[in-house]
Amino acid sequence: MNDKTKLGILGFFRSVRISFSFFLLLGRKSRRTKVFYIISFVPILMAVIIKLGQFFYGQTQITGLSIFSNMIMVFYLQFLILILALFFGTSICSEELEGKTLTYLTTRPVSKSALLLGKYAAYTLLTIIMTSIGLLIAFLILNVNNLLDFSLYKILFRDLAVLALGLICYSAFFTFIGTLLKKSILFGLVFSFGWENVIQYFPGSTQRFAIVHYLKSLLKVPTSGGFSFLLFRLEPTPPGVAILMLLVISGIFLFLACLLFSQKEYILQD
Amino acid sequence: MTAVIETKNLSKWYGNILGLSDVSLQVEQGITGILGPNGAGKSTFLKLITGQIKPNIGRVTIKGKPIRNNYPLYRMIGFCPEQDSFYGELSGWEFLKNLLTLYHLAQAEAEDKAAKALDIVELTKDKNRIIKSYSRGMRQRLKVAQAIAHDPEILILDEPLNGLDPLGRRKIIKLIKSYEREGRTIIVSSHVLPEIEAMTQKIILIHQGKIFAEGNIHYIRDLIETHPHIISIKCNDPRAMAEKFIHEDFVLKVHFGTTLDSLLVETNNRDKFFALLPPLIVEHRIEVREITSPDDNLQAVFDYLVGK
Repeated sequence: MNDKTKLGILGFFRSVRISFSFFLLLGRKSRRTKVFYIISFVPILMAVIIKLGQFFYGQTQITGLSIFSNMIMVFYLQFLILILALFFGTSICSEELEGKTLTYLTTRPVSKSALLLGKYAAYTLLTIIMTSIGLLIAFLILNVNNLLDFSLYKILFRDLAVLALGLICYSAFFTFIGTLLKKSILFGLVFSFGWENVIQYFPGSTQRFAIVHYLKSLLKVPTSGGFSFLLFRLEPTPPGVAILMLLVISGIFLFLACLLFSQKEYILQD
Repeated sequence: MTAVIETKNLSKWYGNILGLSDVSLQVEQGITGILGPNGAGKSTFLKLITGQIKPNIGRVTIKGKPIRNNYPLYRMIGFCPEQDSFYGELSGWEFLKNLLTLYHLAQAEAEDKAAKALDIVELTKDKNRIIKSYSRGMRQRLKVAQAIAHDPEILILDEPLNGLDPLGRRKIIKLIKSYEREGRTIIVSSHVLPEIEAMTQKIILIHQGKIFAEGNIHYIRDLIETHPHIISIKCNDPRAMAEKFIHEDFVLKVHFGTTLDSLLVETNNRDKFFALLPPLIVEHRIEVREITSPDDNLQAVFDYLVGK
């Protein structure tokens, strides 16, 4: 690798970092972020209600950890990370077009790929922070009686890592969809609550065409609770392969998004 | 003088809609005005020369180099877009400072340049307010600030005087002229002739995606002088007033409006007409409520010229 190439690569990553800082600030201040913070705090409310119920109506057989695992399966995996990735991922391109602010970016000496990657990184980090705060507080509330059981924290961090991986992967996919389609939200809703929710229950290799399959493969199967049926068809992929697949899927869709964003001509409607 | 910006056979269409057709021209140092009615292709031309969109046919070069995706060239250009769009949740200061960091400037340098630009457009006092709360004029000045903040050699301003009050307009015109004196290249678009006239003598007339005329502003002024003008007058006795006008050789037509108090006069010499009007009003004690020129705009001039 010659010096010119090295400088080019360094310059590109510097551009990504600058773009990341800019959009992190913008993302933090946006109204959408505030709304999604509220949605991501729903599990805290749920945890409080469950704990109060247990307090007033007596202890049940279900442990805090079991409730937490079901919460991950139902609320986080099947709803929250999909919604967060969908709305933040597709907005990476669409908010610049709808807000007609793309001009301010594309007339600067920064490649479009660097802009897109920086914005993707900023928005993905924001969604990971949102998810983590709600999850952490809900976990502490649900396990308030066992806070000194350090083996529980291992599960918490594993689940957090799985959700973060899910956000990275889904956001990459929806970033690509946002650069490709005008009605990306509609397509994203069909994908999230149609494709992802159906394909994962198909037997054999078919379920491997859903991202959620790899995420579920990384989670410990809950042994009790009303939602264990959500794993009834799961034929898990080995964890190492699942992580690799999630990273490969993210890489492919980010590459395609960068390629499309750089080449496609976006016309801002007057 | 060598051309700073050069276009050759530049054509652009959006689906079946023609944006620009076969435009070949050279823009030299100094101020060049792009004049044309709304939808003439001015913004398309400016987007093409700033590399935001690619031409279907032809090419654009800045200082001899192709512009599209040539990021080092983008450092030399400051662009003020026409649309009134911003990241509304940011303050003026955050907006400007963060856009400057996209030039790979150090934080301190970006802050210094942002402060200077805000000072030039007189927004220092309001820099910490969010853009959403700015008035239209303030937002327009902020747009100009983001175009000049990195000290570009070439300034491309799409309708920069839109939404500004007369004082604001005067200040921006003064600023643009000061950049010309510094030896920069400036392209300013407008659909209002007097705005361009206040800045430069060099103009490019654009109409229906084509360069209609190019050169000195006196040329277009002469064309306009021969353009018959319609003047509408609302008064208490339009028929008495019509009687006085009808004998003048510079009055081509007189007809009455749909309301009983209005009169439309078509003249081929506006100056003579307006010289005659005040003494006539005084002498015959006519009570005039309104005088307007319904066709005194660029579109009417273009329609006339094209029809001719």
